Amino acid sequence: MTMTEENETITMQEEEQIHSWHSQLLRNISKSLHDFRMADRPGKVDMLGKWGLFIPAVASTLIIVLILAFLWFESVPILVDPSGGPGIVVSPTWDPNRDLFGIAIFIVGSLLCAGIAIGLAVPLGIGGAIFLSEFCPMRLRQPIKMIIEMMAAIPSIVYGLWAYLVLVPIIKNNIAPITQSPTNGLSLLAGGLILAIMLLPTVVTISTDALQTVPLSLREASLALGATQSETSRKIVLSAALPGVGAAVVLSLGRAVGETMAVLMVTGNSLQIPYSLFDPTYVMTSIITNQLGYAFVFPLWRSALFAVGLVLLIMSICFTLTAKLFIRWGMKTRGYI
Amino acid sequence: MPEYEHNIEVHGLSTWFGKKHILKDITCYFRDNTVTAIMGPSGCGKSTLLRTLNRLNDLVPSFRRKGEVLFKGTDIYGVGTSVYDLRKHIGMVFQKPNPFPMSVFDNVTYGPKLHGVKDEDELNKIVETSLRKAALWDEVKDELQSPAPNLSGGQQQRLCIARALSVDPPVLLMDEPVSALDPISAAKIEELIIELKQDYTIILVTHNVQQAFRVSDQAAFLYLGELVEFDETKRILEAPADSRTEAFITGRIG
Ligand SMILES: Nc1ncnc2c1ncn2[C@@H]1O[C@H](COP(=O)(O)OP(=O)(O)OP(=O)(O)O)[C@@H](O)[C@H]1O
Ligand SMILES: [Mg+2]
Repeated sequence: MTMTEENETITMQEEEQIHSWHSQLLRNISKSLHDFRMADRPGKVDMLGKWGLFIPAVASTLIIVLILAFLWFESVPILVDPSGGPGIVVSPTWDPNRDLFGIAIFIVGSLLCAGIAIGLAVPLGIGGAIFLSEFCPMRLRQPIKMIIEMMAAIPSIVYGLWAYLVLVPIIKNNIAPITQSPTNGLSLLAGGLILAIMLLPTVVTISTDALQTVPLSLREASLALGATQSETSRKIVLSAALPGVGAAVVLSLGRAVGETMAVLMVTGNSLQIPYSLFDPTYVMTSIITNQLGYAFVFPLWRSALFAVGLVLLIMSICFTLTAKLFIRWGMKTRGYI
Repeated sequence: MPEYEHNIEVHGLSTWFGKKHILKDITCYFRDNTVTAIMGPSGCGKSTLLRTLNRLNDLVPSFRRKGEVLFKGTDIYGVGTSVYDLRKHIGMVFQKPNPFPMSVFDNVTYGPKLHGVKDEDELNKIVETSLRKAALWDEVKDELQSPAPNLSGGQQQRLCIARALSVDPPVLLMDEPVSALDPISAAKIEELIIELKQDYTIILVTHNVQQAFRVSDQAAFLYLGELVEFDETKRILEAPADSRTEAFITGRIG
């Protein structure tokens, strides 16, 4: 009897405890839910703003830092080895059999390829965006934009196949003969062109969006001063949208130096510095993809490939930062910030 | 050169947006060196009338028009008129300040550069005279290179006036230029308008009867696209001839 009573009391107490624990948990959950919902109300803790933005921001910074650290760690052997050292970035001879790991040709190849691509894709893309946003009939704009957006979703290997079967022969048979350059078509030009084609959709769609956010009132002000449509779109609309267009360029820069498959298939991958558009070239992403498999058991070789990756990452970080600075400057001089 | 009495005259003007008949057979003229106020309730077609005068409505695909608008005696919609030349001669100031996102200096030189002024000294001179006319020079002369959107709303609107004046148009169209501004900036711009009428023909759209009374010499009262009254402002406001005008003035419609 006593036992049972005791038991019961304990159970009662436990139950009470559990119950209060439960309700507290419930209260906690519902409170944070409440806070979450009221996040934008003044005087409340801005949970969404605090954690919702803080966590992803920290996480992505951390990921970049970790990747940099990882690449650095993997590159250390070649950077401290007497046959390597930091000098590899300016040395042009890549010959793993003789322990020569100069990566300059890949850097030059990548920069040239990306340079050609950006040089073609940005002006063409901006031209296309001005057409779409300023001159294209309303009814055609959305369908055209949709098609262009679909172009951005085509996998790069498909672009590579197309370039290999169509672009490369065209360069070999139709373009190179103009300057009488001997080439099999696999060339710097092919890499630059296919990259440009791949970047074009991004540049066009992002720039179009940027141009369309320019208020009508600015166009009217320009026209009311006697400007033509084309003067207005070049001198006012494009200028006002330049920071947004700059963002398109940032994205394509990153993609241009980082793109692998399509470029690998059409540049000929020859270990030389290209002196003409029709010379084959070797880009940074290609050398990593092509040789990592063989290099894995040779510490120096493998480490040199990681050094290529490290340089690639540092390069794209530098590009992005420069472009960001440019955009900031653009926003400042336009009074946006 | 055709004979003409006023810089701008409107003869039997009707306009449509698609099927919607907006302005109905309007005939009026705008005397030189005066301010003409265009008044009327919201949606009666004041802006449409103003934008027909510099052909800004041409941008709307569904816009149609009948009747004549004469600028210095020539029909602005006639064959052989260049719309770009026309707009150089008829400046416009909008309801909301809309400075270009560039420096104060570039805002004022945009128009002159379009029309072929390249000389550095001349551009500097244009900037100074335009900003002085717009009563803004003293406030911005030390920060001509700073971005225009950083100015206050009232300053922005005066910059827009300076920008319109930069190509030296004889006619200035103003579509409720102070309705988006605070009272002090508004008063400043009203003063400015009175000053400017010595050199320009000003056509001012306004909702505000007091404002029309303070700044305008003649007034046009529009109601549902019809020109109900057109006379000296004083006369209209003191003794409206039409019951609709009276209703608007006393605040019963609008
Ligand atoms: N671009 C356009 N397309 C079609 N209809 C238009 C367009 N612009 C104006 N309208 C129509 O024309 C009529 C007159 O407009 P308007 O802007 O001239 O009026 P308003 O007198 O200036 O009015 P508010 O005082 O509100 O500025 C309105 O019914 C409006 O809906
Ligand atoms: Mg209006």
